[in-house]
Parts: sequence; C-alpha cells; structure tokens
Amino acid sequence: MSSLAIGGVGFVILLGMLAVRIPIGIAMISVGITGYLTIAGPIPLLSYLKTETYWAFTTFDLSVVPLFLLMGQFAAKAGLSSALFTAANTWLGHHRGGVAMAAVGGCAGFGAISGSSLATAATMGQVALPELRRFNYSGSLATGALAAGGTLGILIPPSVVLIIYAIMVESNVAALFQAAFLPGILAALGYMLAIAIVVRINPEAGPAGERASRAAKWAALLEIWPVLVIFLLVMGGIYAGVFTPTEGAAIGSVGTFLIAVTKGGMRLEGFLDAILGTAQTTAMIFLILLGAKIFNAFLGFSELPLFAADFFQNAGLSPFVVLLGMIILYILLGFVMDSLSMILLTVPIFWPIIAGLDFGLGPDETKLWFGIITLIVVEMGLITPPVGLNVFVINSMAKDVPMLETFKGVVPFITSDFIRVAIIIAFPVITLILPELLAVE
Amino acid sequence: MAEGMEHFSRPADPVGRVLYRIARVFAILGGILLCLVGLMTTVSIVGRFVFSAPVPGDFELVAIGTGLSVFAFLPWCQLMRGNVIVDFFMDKAPIRAKTFCDTVGGLLYLGIGALLTWRMVFGGIDMYKYNEVSMTIGFPRWTTFPISIVLMGFLVIVVIYTIFRSIAETRAGRFFDEGSGSVG
Repeated sequence: MSSLAIGGVGFVILLGMLAVRIPIGIAMISVGITGYLTIAGPIPLLSYLKTETYWAFTTFDLSVVPLFLLMGQFAAKAGLSSALFTAANTWLGHHRGGVAMAAVGGCAGFGAISGSSLATAATMGQVALPELRRFNYSGSLATGALAAGGTLGILIPPSVVLIIYAIMVESNVAALFQAAFLPGILAALGYMLAIAIVVRINPEAGPAGERASRAAKWAALLEIWPVLVIFLLVMGGIYAGVFTPTEGAAIGSVGTFLIAVTKGGMRLEGFLDAILGTAQTTAMIFLILLGAKIFNAFLGFSELPLFAADFFQNAGLSPFVVLLGMIILYILLGFVMDSLSMILLTVPIFWPIIAGLDFGLGPDETKLWFGIITLIVVEMGLITPPVGLNVFVINSMAKDVPMLETFKGVVPFITSDFIRVAIIIAFPVITLILPELLAVE
Repeated sequence: MAEGMEHFSRPADPVGRVLYRIARVFAILGGILLCLVGLMTTVSIVGRFVFSAPVPGDFELVAIGTGLSVFAFLPWCQLMRGNVIVDFFMDKAPIRAKTFCDTVGGLLYLGIGALLTWRMVFGGIDMYKYNEVSMTIGFPRWTTFPISIVLMGFLVIVVIYTIFRSIAETRAGRFFDEGSGSVG
C-alpha cells in the first residue's frame, strides 16, 4: 500500500473511531501513531515520541490558550455581564425587540474580553433572560437571541479557535485578531437586524421595554468601565502590537482576577472553581492538540495534503466552488462536531488546497480571510441542531421553553450568519483593512 | 470554541474519592502555577515599560510553566469526563453500547498514556545527557521531566480507574453521574 493510501485509510479509520465515542484526541493519537509506525517504522516512532508530548505542551505560542481561558473564567466571575446588559438595555430597550438587542449588545461587549462562547451565552443568559421574560418576549426569540449572541464570544476576538488556526497555518495571531474584529462587529449588528426583522413580522414576539432617562443612560454606561479598561489594555495592546497575545492574555488574567475579587465578590471557592474550570478545558484542548500534532505528523508522511492540494489545483474548478464545498462540509461537520476539533482535523488538508488556489489575494491575505470565513462557519455548529451547545446551555436556563422553540428561534440568526459569510467572501476588504492599517510586523 | 461543560461530579466509591482528591490537588497546583505565569508576565511587561528591564527569559518561563500545568490538568480532565467525544451517531444507542465504547476508548487512552510516559522517561534522560537548556536563561529542560512523568503516571492510574468505571457502568446499565457523553 502506498503512503498516500495509508493516509487515506487512516483518515477513514479516524472518522470511524469518532463515530463510536472514542474521544477525539485519543482517536487522533491512536491513528497517528499507528500510521507513523506503518510508514516510518518503529525506531523513528519511538524516538519521535520521546519529547513530542513535552513540545506539544511547552510552546510559547500555545501558552496563550490557558491564559485566555483563565481570563475568561475570571471575567465570568467579575459580575460584568450584568453591567454590560444594563448599559445596552438603557440605550436600546425602549425599541421594539430592544431588550433582545441589548442582550446581543451585552454579548458583544463580553465577547471583546472573553474567548469563550459558552461562557458568554451562560453569563449573559443569567442576567438577560429574566428581563426578556419580564417584558413578555417570546421564548423562541429570547433564547434564540442569547444562544446566537453567545457565539459573539468567539467571533469577536480574543478567540481560542483563531489562535489554534493561526498556529496551524503559521499566521500571526495578532493579525488574525485584527482581521476578526470588523466581521465580529458585523455579526453583532446582523443579529440585531435579525431581531428587528423578527419583531416587525411578529410584534408580539418582542415588545418594547422601558425608556430610561438620559442621566440613567450615561450612568449605566459608566458602570462598564472595567470591561473597557480590560479591552483597551488587552486587545488594544495586542492590536497595536505593544505586546504579544500571550502577554495580553497574562495581563488580562491578572486584571480580570482583580475585578472579580473587588467587584464580583470572588472568594477562595470561586477562585478554585475558576482554576478547576480552566484546568478541565485546558487539558481537553491540549489533548486534542497533541492528537492533531501526532496525526498531522503522520499525514505529512503520507503526503495526502500535498496530493489534495495538487488535485484541486489541477482540477480546473473555480476556486470559489472549492471554497463553497469546504463551507458546506464545515456546516455538515458542525452538526456533529465541535469547532476546535473540526479546525484541527480539516485545516491541515484544506489550507494547502486553499493556498494553491488563486482568489486574487496575497498569500498572507488569503490566510486571514480564509481563517475568518472558517471561524464563522465552524461556529455556526454551536447553534445548529442536534448538538448546538449554546442552544442547550440557554435552553436549560429557560425551563418553560421547549428545545424545538429555541432551535426555531435560532433560524433568523443562522440566516444572518449565511448572509454575513457571503458578504465577507464578496468583500475581503472587511477582513483585511484592519490588519493592513495596524500592520504589526 | 470547544470547551468543557464543567461538571464537577465526585466519584462515590473509595478509590474514586482518593483519586478525585489527588487529581483536584494537582489541578489546583497547576492552576496556581498558571496564575503565577500570568503574574510574572505582567511584572515583566511593567518592568519592560517602566524600567526597561523585563524578567529575563520570560518567554521561556511562560512556555515551561504552562507546559507543566497542562500535565497537571490531564488527570483531572479525564476523571471529570472532560474529553470531547462525538455523541451524535450513538445518541440513541442503548447505554450499555455507549459504556462499552467508552471502555474501548479508555483502553486506547491507557495504551497511549503508558507509551508516552515510557518514552518521556527516555526523553528526559536525553535532555539530561545532552544538557539541553532553554536559549536565553539556560534553564535545564530535564528538570521538569520528573514532575511531568509522575503526573503522566498518575494519569495512567486515573485512566485505569475510568476503565473500571466504564465496565461497572456497562454492568449496571447506567452512567454513575450526570454530564457524561455530552460534546465538549
């Protein structure tokens, strides 16, 4: 059997293992090791494994991941979601559908300091859901808006998925964060527009809330200063190239820790809760990263990625057809898989293919642009059935809303996602303008 | 992002309780190390801007520190069923089929864990023999290996425990605690 065939067989076996509940990281390591052994033999394998685990975990580029997770955990305990929602609500609440828009706005604000979509959905759900119900918002709009709003945690940088993508394609994390910013804002605006359209069709779904006085509006805005400080310090510092993403995450975790203690009333129990949460998520991500590293070492040997790139380059297909095919595949995978695993599994094959095609952009530009498109489509999996995690989290908070209602409520937001993907594909400038203006290196 | 649905379910049996305590202590120590890494980096940045004197070799210390904490987190994640699986295709399958697959997954993890731990011993010896040090501050890389190997060894023990847990669950026909089998 040729190396190429072994690579293909390995891929199929991997997918089979995933289907029968083998943890993704374990499956990747198992297939990777077996494939490596088949192609390269036992001695190189045993030598390769001596320090592979160490280097997979001990890499400066990856240190940013646990630090951002820690920052997100502290941010969730800092009581910021309440201030964010209140601020958005005093400004938007009196419009029809305004309270739901405020929930999306609050999510966007939280997303600017948190890289976690579940945490964004969960913390914002806790403060916004009772208000939404108080103003008799329909269950489907209330839960749908929050589930979709939660994805802003990822779409607006910082974002762990983008960091992983950056490392895989050897791109600059700061540049990718810059690239994701405007599409993230566009996502928030698109979700608000979706709400506006829903309440125009069905005014019952989202009645207007209370009108706040001008003084109350400004007072509420002042309350979100910790978010602004953290954002300006961390993301501002990274965007401006003052420090590396890892340094930004480190400062952010210290900053959010201080706010959690002083404003959020975090004590020892809350602190332990935060670090144990960080521990679990970090270990989960790094096991998959180790798996991806070993699996990709094997794939590299098999030359499958090269073959795939060659094949598509010579197939005479329009680059955009290939891109569309990938997007459809991501959406299908998103039905069953989480975003990080999808990225780790597909990018080693997809990126060489994309890099070999001509989209009329420079190589670095293509990297950023494809990264943002990928980010959006893989995150759609968070709100699509049957395993839309955000939907589950929000739905479990609103006990009286049937799951089906929440999934129905998500439809306008998914529609908005599709339109946004189309816009971002059609106008690469939205993604590329900030990295160009702020060019870090 | 793919992140853990955190469910801090405590094992009820005596062995599980002991492992739970140890894994929790390791995870907390790793978490504190991570906090210290964050703190040190912050101090280094302030030092760089205010006194133009960063902590020497801060990049290397960050990588080594977070690397060590990841090793400390692995057993906790496994015990908490925190590793990501694809539940979609077996969602409607009987619980015994699921727990059987989990047993197989556990056995694979056991094999991998044992293999990697074994190889790491030699990796550490190599690092020691060839006196591999980090570039800026000359931090000897072998020094963290003994700790990482102990943590990997403990991971293997935890995996053995979870295999028996899956077998017992197959016998009982139910999961012993909530939150198992979700994606993430």
